Amino acid sequence: MTSEKNTPARRALSMASMGADIAGSYIGYLLQRAFLGKEEVKHRLKSTHTRAARRMRDEMQSLRGPAMKIGQTLSLQMGVLPDETLAELAMLQREAPGMHPSLVRVQVKGSLGREPEEIFRDFTAEPFAAASLGQVHHAVTREGQRVAVKIQYPGIRQTIETDFTLFRTVSKPAQASGHVPKAAIDEMEQQILAETDYRREADNIEFFQQQLAPLSFVKVPRVLRQYSSDKVLTMSLMPGRHLDGFLAQRPSQKLRNELGANLFELFYFQVLKVEALHADPHWGNYLFNDDARIGLVDFGCVKYLRPESAAYLRSVFLYPGATDSADFRRLLERHYAQVGEKLSPAARRALIRFADNFYRKVYPPEPEKQQLFDFGDTTFLQDYLRESKNLFRTHGVLTEFIFMARGEMGLYQTLHRLRARVPTSQIVRKYL
Amino acid sequence: MIAKKKPTSRAKPRGGGAAPRPVGRRAQSKEAIRKRIVTAALNLFQTKGFDPTTTKAIARKAGIAEGTVFNYFKSKEDIALHFFEQEVDQAIAAVRGNPRLRKAPLEEKLFTLVHSQLEFLAPHERFIGAAFIHALKPASALGIFSHRAQELRHRYVGFVQELFEESLPKQQHNPLSWVAPEAFWIFYLGALLYWLHDSSPGKQHTLAFLDRSLSIGVSMLKQERR
Repeated sequence: MTSEKNTPARRALSMASMGADIAGSYIGYLLQRAFLGKEEVKHRLKSTHTRAARRMRDEMQSLRGPAMKIGQTLSLQMGVLPDETLAELAMLQREAPGMHPSLVRVQVKGSLGREPEEIFRDFTAEPFAAASLGQVHHAVTREGQRVAVKIQYPGIRQTIETDFTLFRTVSKPAQASGHVPKAAIDEMEQQILAETDYRREADNIEFFQQQLAPLSFVKVPRVLRQYSSDKVLTMSLMPGRHLDGFLAQRPSQKLRNELGANLFELFYFQVLKVEALHADPHWGNYLFNDDARIGLVDFGCVKYLRPESAAYLRSVFLYPGATDSADFRRLLERHYAQVGEKLSPAARRALIRFADNFYRKVYPPEPEKQQLFDFGDTTFLQDYLRESKNLFRTHGVLTEFIFMARGEMGLYQTLHRLRARVPTSQIVRKYL
Repeated sequence: MIAKKKPTSRAKPRGGGAAPRPVGRRAQSKEAIRKRIVTAALNLFQTKGFDPTTTKAIARKAGIAEGTVFNYFKSKEDIALHFFEQEVDQAIAAVRGNPRLRKAPLEEKLFTLVHSQLEFLAPHERFIGAAFIHALKPASALGIFSHRAQELRHRYVGFVQELFEESLPKQQHNPLSWVAPEAFWIFYLGALLYWLHDSSPGKQHTLAFLDRSLSIGVSMLKQERR
């Protein structure tokens, strides 16, 4: 039988299976969606887009997955998409195809050795939420604890690798021209691949549970390791509602302000204090409670910052002096040198413009100004998008901040939907 | 090549050949010997390969006389076919015996069918690869032209047709409907090949491949029926 290993028939067969591999990528998924004709994507976007932009948006939304993330970054740099679309795209989730109960059972058995009905006292066959790269089911353990069981779609890791291989090939010209830096693709691939290991996510959850303990308004789930693996993650069930459900209840301005301030503080506590960030801004990852507490779920995408990067952020945030001063310029240049990058004059100008036109407005540095910033106002979001696009165009964004920018955009988007008024500078100052 | 077949008796697990019929002691010991022969043969097919294995070696491994083997099976191909019949029978039983699947969508039933076939074959992967090549030879008893193999295929295709008929709306005429069960047989062979070449841990790619291709296939059928 070993002699049959390299016959032409065998080779042809493995080539056929390679073709099937490609069909198994997100392209195959797209095809499937086209056949199924599912229209689950919400269109609450302004209707003034050009036709091409709209098509591109639709395609990216139906692709989801890594391809979408790539598209998102690209569009940030090229300004292909209208701002509203861009903001919406940042929030979309890397959604995997849904699994029917039989596949769920096979997947759990393959990973934990037993079928979910054998492991849990009660297991709900229908998922209650889509999660990054999989879906989430309700269950009750033998001890009676209510849990959420996240189960990964099979073969997702290879799907991502296939997508990136394809993307690297088609983006060769853009890489050569510097529009899509290779380092940025590497960073994206690394982050997205890391999300496929649920064991790593369990580590992230435990890390954040410890680190976020000082914030009494944040709740992080507890991992049940005995019911978890690289493809199955069992956690305690978090209370609270998703943003849409929460807003549907017409919460008071006071509660929205309180929640907004908590979200805002959570973000800066992570960036400036913990130096690691829950960087997937999808709304489904935050649960809102009537006592202004926030439940965090889905820790797949966590960005750990370098200590020097966090120190840099602490030094430039609420910078009291003039942004065109030699001192501010030195701060910027020193950090770029530290991470081995050159700060071009264009990028420096863009950074200063960003600070003046956005950060100074939203985060007034003067200590005597204790005013609340109203995130209900749309102009700040436009300012942010315009300035970040401008910065991206200079190729001056450090790869380390790609994911942070995504988290930041998600934060603003959520605060905007909450129409929260937040004492921005006052909160940031606590952690400088 | 494709003859239109009448599906025999609707519903109900047909054959269920994996389960022995309740019979006397003599028949029981016959069944036990048959089982011993099959186990010995599969063991040799897997370790030594299908071609080099002789009925003599099978008899020795099973601890019986070579002549006794021929009381049960005409040849080693016959043993292999018996094994494939078991594969189909237990897969049909897995679909029919699972109450959770009664109201499940077609793609889920088909997924369970193919997945239980592959699960059954999993311990004998090396032999399956060899049998596949063997079956392509026109004169092979395992091959698509042998009478017994055809019978097995008809049983399988008949069951798939049953699943189609109970899950898809009947009224409209659909040009795809009569070839679909036959096409499914070919799809199964493709899936088997994919599975044989799948080196991902836990054959994860095969699961994804099955899931996606089945949803595409079933939705195409449904669209045609509209």
